[in-house]
Amino acid sequence: MTSWLSRIFSVARFVRSGNASPSARRPSPLSRVGRQGVAFLAIAVSSARAEDTFFAKRVTPILEQKCVVCHGAEKQKGKLRLDSFAHLMRGGEGGPAVTAGDPKGSELFVRVTLHPEDEDFMPADSKPPLTPDEVKVLELWIAAGASEVIALAAIKGAPALAAPKAAVLPLAPDWRARAPQIAQLEKALGIRLVPRSMVATDGLVLRTASSPGRCDDTTLAKLAPVADLIVEAELARTKITDAGLAVVGTFVNLRVLDLTRTAVTSTGLNDLLALKNLETLNLTATAVDDSGVAALRQMASIKQTWVFETKAGGADNPTAAAKK
Amino acid sequence: MNPHSSDHPLCSDHGGEHPTVLDLPHVPLGLKREWLDLETRRHFLGQGVKALGWAGLATLLGRSAPNLLANSPIPGAPAFLPHYAPKAKRAIYLFMAGSPSQFETWDYKPALADLFDKDLPESVRGGQTLTGMTASQTRFPIAPSIYKFARHGKAGRFISELFPYTAKVSDELCVIKSLHTDAINHEPAILQLTTGNMFPGRPSIGSWLSYGLGAMNEELPTFVVMTSKMPHRTNVQALSNRLWSSGFLSPEHAAVALRSGSDPVLYLNNPKGVESDVRRAMIDGVNDLNRQLFERVGDPEINARISQYEMAFRMQTSVPELTDFSNEPQSTWDLYGPKAKEPGTFAYNCLMARRLAERGVRFTQIFLRSWDQHSNLPKNIKLMAEDSDQPTYALVTDLKRRGLLDDTVVIWGGEFGRTVYSQGTLTPTNYGRDHHPRCFSMWMAGGGVKPGMSYGETDDFSYNIVKDPMHIRDLHATILHLFGLDHSKLSFKFQGLDQKLTGVLPSKVINDLLA
Repeated sequence: MTSWLSRIFSVARFVRSGNASPSARRPSPLSRVGRQGVAFLAIAVSSARAEDTFFAKRVTPILEQKCVVCHGAEKQKGKLRLDSFAHLMRGGEGGPAVTAGDPKGSELFVRVTLHPEDEDFMPADSKPPLTPDEVKVLELWIAAGASEVIALAAIKGAPALAAPKAAVLPLAPDWRARAPQIAQLEKALGIRLVPRSMVATDGLVLRTASSPGRCDDTTLAKLAPVADLIVEAELARTKITDAGLAVVGTFVNLRVLDLTRTAVTSTGLNDLLALKNLETLNLTATAVDDSGVAALRQMASIKQTWVFETKAGGADNPTAAAKK
Repeated sequence: MNPHSSDHPLCSDHGGEHPTVLDLPHVPLGLKREWLDLETRRHFLGQGVKALGWAGLATLLGRSAPNLLANSPIPGAPAFLPHYAPKAKRAIYLFMAGSPSQFETWDYKPALADLFDKDLPESVRGGQTLTGMTASQTRFPIAPSIYKFARHGKAGRFISELFPYTAKVSDELCVIKSLHTDAINHEPAILQLTTGNMFPGRPSIGSWLSYGLGAMNEELPTFVVMTSKMPHRTNVQALSNRLWSSGFLSPEHAAVALRSGSDPVLYLNNPKGVESDVRRAMIDGVNDLNRQLFERVGDPEINARISQYEMAFRMQTSVPELTDFSNEPQSTWDLYGPKAKEPGTFAYNCLMARRLAERGVRFTQIFLRSWDQHSNLPKNIKLMAEDSDQPTYALVTDLKRRGLLDDTVVIWGGEFGRTVYSQGTLTPTNYGRDHHPRCFSMWMAGGGVKPGMSYGETDDFSYNIVKDPMHIRDLHATILHLFGLDHSKLSFKFQGLDQKLTGVLPSKVINDLLA
């Protein structure tokens, strides 16, 4: 554990000393206003703007995640609170936590960049240390004047925030409210409606692999009560036809559609143009041709289509079927 | 002795008629049930039968079980849902048993050419204990690969001339050169790869996936194993069903081993003169008796038996359709080669794996043995590569053109690496290589793995890892991750522990491998 920590730390050190550009260290014009001025500005700026500040967007999340458990409303170790800008600026029993424009002279920055085994290292007690990116954010912010109101875009060179995981974006409404209906449909239709993950807004997979022969156009029509929950439709080898695709066209949150070895044709594919989220479409071994596939490939959302064993272009060279 | 008398409190080993724990006063019912459950488990453990926890029981009861997830009354849902939306729905694991040398395949070491027959520096070996097969050698002469390497694909990856076909899909592959294992001999090493533990009795990867995620196609097993005919036979390792057993999980999570030939699943067909409806009535009758027994003794193993009867009955229909290759287009035979028509060959099994993937089988493991080249390596590794190269390429290509590679992860590799020094006599054209657990190469493709990449580096002797070591546990954690499962949470209570595929030692998902 210790060696792991120290490795993280040495990376942090490297990032800090090696990558911080001189321009980032130059105090921004704003910092010249001075701390009192900043406090004044903070009052003057309307609260609606607060979300767009570097402090709110980048600094606060780090403090909340890594510091506030010991330096917040509940505990105030070293008489320091970091749960608001005002508290941060007030500092603790050892004096101010931040010196605007001077990261290395700021206790907040110094303490998180000490050697992890140093007794003054923060977060203390083997709590998760700041990542190199988080250290960098603090450094840039202090160097730029430690302002509450400086705009997010005004500080250049901050490490990009990790892209939000796909799982947390709602792909479909929460299915749990309709669980009894889902169970009923599964039983009646011989299909499965499987949650894609524990995240209830990740949608459902329409699964027919156990008995594809039982799934036809009328089966799909009966799925209307859950149409908006279906994010993936596994319809390979089912009995569906173009009439069924009209129903699939109402699965508004559909992203993945497998029509392998079904009787669908290019005519039916037109109904899929309504699916604004459709990303992948498998048409392997169907009767489709270019007349139906070309328009689909123009859809903004489409990332991949497969047309192996069809008359559509790219059949002999399936990689050509990939848009990208 | 009267067990009811107050001087004789109940004792658990009392024979004959006696009140059960349920008759105890002043004890909450839930506690009593828990005790009874434990007692049942002890009883069956005593008889050498696997025990099951309540989570497994719920899976077993399958369609009628109350779901374990809060607010999720959907019956038939598996013990777990993916912790996050999965990239892979299925995996096809091409297990190269015996362990192909990394030097002739994926770990290009051009600098060795100048070191032919030089002694391996002691500092490289670092005092490592060798196997009994080479420990007594007086010299450890360096044996460079006699096979040449060339760059392939957009990534410009060096691939051995032994794999001209696989080289064509180089940009689909993620080659890992820094795997390492704890075992130096085949059986424990294969067990560690397949079950996460060197000792037998643990569930295989496919069993964990079946337990965790349930079936996609209830007409076919969730986990299928095939062994392949060998192009030659030298140092062939025995394979046994402990490599694909369900361990302490319910038996329904064990693999069904498909045999080559006309009868892929033994005893699946009805005996002559027995019609399907008669068989159905017989199974119904047996199931009814089993259910009565379950109500009496509450042993979840009985439900496993019931579900296996049902699976076998369903397979009477699904397996003949699966194994009938007559509807395959000519393009299939062109791709996989003529051997794919011969049941039991590696080529046939690769095609079967694609058909299983199409039908929603989650985990297919194909074993190809006889890679254990302690001697005559140049000749024998060529035979093995010639037998498996085209089918391997064909499988990846076929999955890709049919749109299946995106959510099917293909895994290729053996159980450990081989030594840079020659076992036995080294000549310019012949040498052998001993077992080497410190580093070996595998590749993965599809299913959310980053295509075209290489991960990890070994030293100039492919003896020690110099960058990004990846333990078997990390491989397992990463595979589970692709399926949307958190390896630290996919667990089963057994012998007082929350058992996991990755065990209790540190293991991590290798995020660099993820697309």
